[in-house]
Amino acid sequence: MTLYLLRRIASAIGILLLISLFTYAIFFLLSPDPAVQICGKTCTPDRIDQIRAQLGLDQPFWQQYLEFIRGIVMGRSYGEGASAVSCAAPCLGFSFQTNESVMDMITARFPVTATVAIGAAVLWLLVGVSGGLLSAVKQGTGWDRGAMMVALAGISLPNYFLALLLQYVLVVQLQILPFPQAVPFAEDPVRWFQNYLMPWIVLALGYASMYARLVRSNVIDTLGENFMRTARAKGLPAPLILRRHALRPALTPVVTLFGMDFAGLLGGALITETVFGLNGVGKLAADSIAKNDQPVIMGVTLLAAFFVVIGNVVVDVAYTFLDPRVRVKSA
Amino acid sequence: MKQRFSIPALAAAAVLLLAGCTSAGSGSGGDGPSSTPVKGGTVDVLLNADFSHLDPVQGFDGGVNNFYRLIYRTLTTQSTGEGAKGTEMVPDLATDLGTVSDDGLQWTFTLKDDLKFEDGTPITSKDVKFGVERSFDPAIAVGSPYARLTIAGADSYEGPYITGDLPSIQTPDDQTIVFTLKEPFADFASVVGQNSFTPFPADTERVTTTSLDKMPIASGPYKVDSYERGSQLKLVRNDSWDPKTDDVRKAYPDGFDFTFGLDASTIDERMIAGQGDDANAIAGSVQAASISRIQTPALKARTIAGLQGCTTYMGLNTTKPNMDNPLVRQAIAYAIDRESVKDASGGSQLADIATTMLPPTVAGHTEFDLYPSKDNAGDPEKAKELLAEAGLPDGFSFTLDIRSQPKMQAQAEAVQQALAKAGITVNFNLIDTSTYYEVIGTTSQQNDAAITGWCPDWASGSTFLPPLFDGSQIFPKGNSNIAQLNDPAVNERIAEIRAMTDTDEANAAWGALDEQIQKLVPTVPLLFEKTVMVVGANVAGAYSHAGYSGGIDYVSVGLSSAGK
Amino acid sequence: MSSSVPSELTTVAEEVGAPVGAPTPARRVIATLRSSPPVLLSVAFIVLVVLLAILAPLITAISGWGPYTFDKSAVDSDLGGVPIGNLGGISAEHWFGVEPGNGRDIFARIAFGAQVSLSIAVSATIVTTVLGVVLGMLAGFYGGWVDQVVSRVMDFLMAFPSLIFMIALLSALPAGNRPVLLVVVLSLFGWPYTARVVRGQAMSLRTSEFVESARASGAGGIRIVFREILPNLRGTIIVLATLAVPGYIGTEAGLSFLGVGVTPPTPSWGQMIATAVGWYAVDPMYFLIPGTFLFLTVLSFTVLGDRLRKALDSGDAAS
Repeated sequence: MTLYLLRRIASAIGILLLISLFTYAIFFLLSPDPAVQICGKTCTPDRIDQIRAQLGLDQPFWQQYLEFIRGIVMGRSYGEGASAVSCAAPCLGFSFQTNESVMDMITARFPVTATVAIGAAVLWLLVGVSGGLLSAVKQGTGWDRGAMMVALAGISLPNYFLALLLQYVLVVQLQILPFPQAVPFAEDPVRWFQNYLMPWIVLALGYASMYARLVRSNVIDTLGENFMRTARAKGLPAPLILRRHALRPALTPVVTLFGMDFAGLLGGALITETVFGLNGVGKLAADSIAKNDQPVIMGVTLLAAFFVVIGNVVVDVAYTFLDPRVRVKSA
Repeated sequence: MKQRFSIPALAAAAVLLLAGCTSAGSGSGGDGPSSTPVKGGTVDVLLNADFSHLDPVQGFDGGVNNFYRLIYRTLTTQSTGEGAKGTEMVPDLATDLGTVSDDGLQWTFTLKDDLKFEDGTPITSKDVKFGVERSFDPAIAVGSPYARLTIAGADSYEGPYITGDLPSIQTPDDQTIVFTLKEPFADFASVVGQNSFTPFPADTERVTTTSLDKMPIASGPYKVDSYERGSQLKLVRNDSWDPKTDDVRKAYPDGFDFTFGLDASTIDERMIAGQGDDANAIAGSVQAASISRIQTPALKARTIAGLQGCTTYMGLNTTKPNMDNPLVRQAIAYAIDRESVKDASGGSQLADIATTMLPPTVAGHTEFDLYPSKDNAGDPEKAKELLAEAGLPDGFSFTLDIRSQPKMQAQAEAVQQALAKAGITVNFNLIDTSTYYEVIGTTSQQNDAAITGWCPDWASGSTFLPPLFDGSQIFPKGNSNIAQLNDPAVNERIAEIRAMTDTDEANAAWGALDEQIQKLVPTVPLLFEKTVMVVGANVAGAYSHAGYSGGIDYVSVGLSSAGK
Repeated sequence: MSSSVPSELTTVAEEVGAPVGAPTPARRVIATLRSSPPVLLSVAFIVLVVLLAILAPLITAISGWGPYTFDKSAVDSDLGGVPIGNLGGISAEHWFGVEPGNGRDIFARIAFGAQVSLSIAVSATIVTTVLGVVLGMLAGFYGGWVDQVVSRVMDFLMAFPSLIFMIALLSALPAGNRPVLLVVVLSLFGWPYTARVVRGQAMSLRTSEFVESARASGAGGIRIVFREILPNLRGTIIVLATLAVPGYIGTEAGLSFLGVGVTPPTPSWGQMIATAVGWYAVDPMYFLIPGTFLFLTVLSFTVLGDRLRKALDSGDAAS
């Protein structure tokens, strides 16, 4: 078991390094010279050289990349002398456009992303799983057909369109909700909730629809399995069958999928945050891409990949506990 | 329809200002944005983008320049008031607009008494000198360039952190500061109003290249209480600021709350609804989509409009094939449909047609239209004639650099459509918003034409025409003369006007030069864009300042009633 | 991830993991589909959109308004460029109304936008399917180091925060040939999802009887892969392809919405929605029309793919 865990972690680190190398190389090749950007309107070639030296941009690619990796592990400093800036470990980079370390920018915005992710996750799990279960149990009825149609619509609706639609209907026409405005929870919990409600709904709808379909088909499959027939033949009541025998094999794949989806969301739901103006990590990514703030883009990309890869590992390990068949294999 | 800030309009504004002092605290609404504010309360400012830098040596755009006046003071500054009155230079830290030596190379300023930083320590001439020296450090020299361009010894000097002392700025005593220039500069009184002339305690340990962006040291009526980059900035009163030393700033509110990162449409919604604390809020210009929603009398009463003071134009790269032919450039000037470009920018409330490069808010602006067409809709027939004359009877095609931002794209599409009628095919080269100015400012990378804008650094033709049209100002990188115009007659005339000491004469000369340059068609002026701003019902003292891109002058604004 | 592509295809992957037996006869599948009203409606809509895309130049010649022509008279310049008339300017002249600011005909832009969306999505699907099937089959059949390499590459690509990377990549690269670039980028991050499913199926087919007999009769590896395994994946491939199209339509629209899709003035549904964001309070039709088209197109393909999968699966349940 520990061997398996170590192997998985090693391979996760390997993938992360590879992603960082790939991303670094792509931006190295494609990005316009950051020194020229920082230099501004009235620039001279001498000044550009000075800035490049400060940022370490005159070093060869491999050296720059290694410095970057070293920064993540041990922290690093940029430039020399009075104008040197230090960046504590893990240093994901330093934005010279905003004079902040990328890690600081991300940690400032992470709470918003986490709120969006957690709220949406609660919503989609509740709605998706229970909807799917109900559909499976009432297979073939009007409820089932209706729910599955809604689910199909849910996965086909682009979330920015839904966002606009909801805003138009709920805020402009019916005026049920006030338009989104960032308010800290402590100050006005009701307003805070109203602020996040639409982003949660928009994000959750797609996932809930997907999960409902998945849960439904898994439960139906499980209910049709041989061991279920045995349980029914033994005379066990239906709810008990459902709870004790059907749920676990049916929901195991959902758990693992949820791990992946949630991990992905922690890297920032870019479109949702942008459309609703939420200052989260996703919006940071979108804004930095618009401003071509390369260190920030790098940092956010790595962070998002980190969550996904870790999520993968967690999910794999969880699976060995949840699915006995898998456990045997890895022993 | 041109907007002019004529005497009658100013007089009307003055009357309103005087008459506006009716019952303070009269119910829910205020007395309108032009009434005089009361002391107290907090003004909320809703913004889409954050300020680029809190360090005045690095920040350099209309919005941030306006903000700096709340926390910083410079030797001189722009006045307050609408139109030309607002862009006049008046003394701020200095007692007057400076005395110049006979050879025009030395400028002396005397500081007022009782000037203090926010911690109570006095502001001396050494602190002003330190502030200016900082603007030479290559690491942070991204803001106003005028100190580096005018002061002697700039070429080898790299700022107080690297080189040390700059001898061409002398401080014989705590109240006096003397600048030695490279060559005479008649407008130096305007130069010392630039952001880089903000004083800071002359201590390289305390004030570094990065410390001010995090926590400024205020010399103005307010100081920074808290700053969360990208989301919020709070200002509170700076008790060390003595109102008796300041004729420009009224400092009515007790504080300002800036909120950043708001979506532009959301800002419009909130300003239109004006609920709760938003009654104390101001913001930037509304989107085109909101214009039709602010036509009711109630909203019109809360709406302020003004010219941005900038010119939107299309630069034609005269070094490229076809573009080097004046007949071709004239054809383009005739074919352009300015009406559709105006519509693309939001219609008549958000833009005026421009046929000159100098905007109406710059002294010396003269009206002319060298390439007229009916209703400014373009004259494709005349364009075709000129093209045939130039040997291109079947038209031609060229590449237009455009910035991937919705309004500029829409403007470019309007240009494309209009030129197509004259047989000219326009291909787009879409450039990222963040690198756009870098690309068009690099002579090796720019294409045949580009749509861009220019705002004067202060309201004089000297900050407008030379950067755009002086042949000696063509740089391989960071170039503003994107037409790459290098005409000996023009260059000579620019040098002549620069040397003039009579500002009125110089202004008139700039105006005439504008027309002379347009005969060569290096650029096609398109629009003078306007700001339309909705303010909260409780806001007072708000007007559009022509020196800050038409934004609301922060140092004059306040609330009608401070109970809220 | 906020893009619906990867997650959605993940679901498909979970569900289409069942081992296949003999392929269901096409006749039976078509009969099943024909009897289902949602499928008929979906197919009808898809045909409509395809026709709209193909006949776009012809239709706009009839209506008299191309996708790039401005109509100043249809918008009110003094009110910020808002379309004149109700419902965003719908009239006999402009069947779907006009765009604010420039008065461009929305119907024409929807039709040409359909061209863009469909051509990019279909191209990306073709590339993805070919790549995914070939690599998946090779990895599943051969196993060993081939499988290791392909699987590591797939893991790597799937761990990437693809949306951020796609946006950053597309905005960093010069404009060039955008549609081609979009297809390349979409396919680069899309093929692992197809490959994963195909790999799983190839692995289980590896041990089946007809493969054994083919091997016994001396057929080499590659031959077996393409002669024996591929035909048995027909159903899976059709389902994967049909379900990939809506994903790519959605992703391309999302990228256009964020401003890194096709360059203006080329119309794109996603881009129209993006521009419509600011106008939704005064001109809701401007976002409702392209949004609805987008939604219905994606829905139709999804319904079709869904039913196809059910029809193909149910045939195998018998075995």
